[in-house]
Amino acid sequence: MDDDDRVFKALADRTRRLLLDRLFERDGRTLTELEADMGMTRFGVMKHLRVLEDAGLIATRRSGREKLHFLNPVPIRLIHDRWIDKYTEGPASLLANIKHTLEDDS
Amino acid sequence: MMATTDLTTQIYQVFIKAAPEQVWEAITKPEYTARYFHGARIENTPGGHISYGPDGSTWGDGPVLEFDPPRRLVHEWRSLYDPEMAQEQPSRVTWEIEPQDGGYCKLTLTHDRLEGAPKTAASVSGPGWMFVLSGLKTLLETGSPLAEG
Repeated sequence: MDDDDRVFKALADRTRRLLLDRLFERDGRTLTELEADMGMTRFGVMKHLRVLEDAGLIATRRSGREKLHFLNPVPIRLIHDRWIDKYTEGPASLLANIKHTLEDDS
Repeated sequence: MMATTDLTTQIYQVFIKAAPEQVWEAITKPEYTARYFHGARIENTPGGHISYGPDGSTWGDGPVLEFDPPRRLVHEWRSLYDPEMAQEQPSRVTWEIEPQDGGYCKLTLTHDRLEGAPKTAASVSGPGWMFVLSGLKTLLETGSPLAEG
């Protein structure tokens, strides 16, 4: 599995997307804080956080006895650069071509 | 206790297909930084951190707090490229390079101690550091910069 596979797999889950949204709202949260938001067992939240961490979507850091979770936006940015940019070009140039073709024919 | 970090600690991670020594060169030598860091010529040595903009003005300076090639670099950050941000308290930038299996490195950039620099914190967050780090990745993996000039 390459880096992109891990990111897409991690994002293909509603709970994990919700966890990322929570961190986007306020970064650097503890497991306890995230767990309170999720209505899920501590173990369940830990498992999801682990998948996100393996995909590089969150980074963790120790602060005293606590482990803080930070959103790492870089992999999503790289996917954006690699996929989204490329395909948003598509429809725009397609429409431009249709316009040129129709206008040339008339 | 609630940890309210907001933007005062920011962490960015990127995997780069390069040797730790190459990543280290790219973050410490001005001839490399000029090609991905908004054109800034940045030099990090045990003696300090200095950054010059393409026009030769000083964009940032400060002490280097840790210099451990090719693993760990910690330096102070001041945003001298903007008159308002230049008045803010210095913050801290930590670069950590961890070799992974398969010829990859994990580069972790932590920008923290931003409590006294809210404008800097907002300015570097999100696209700010991401642009620099994706540019660094592209440069090391392809040999050409993400954006010229």
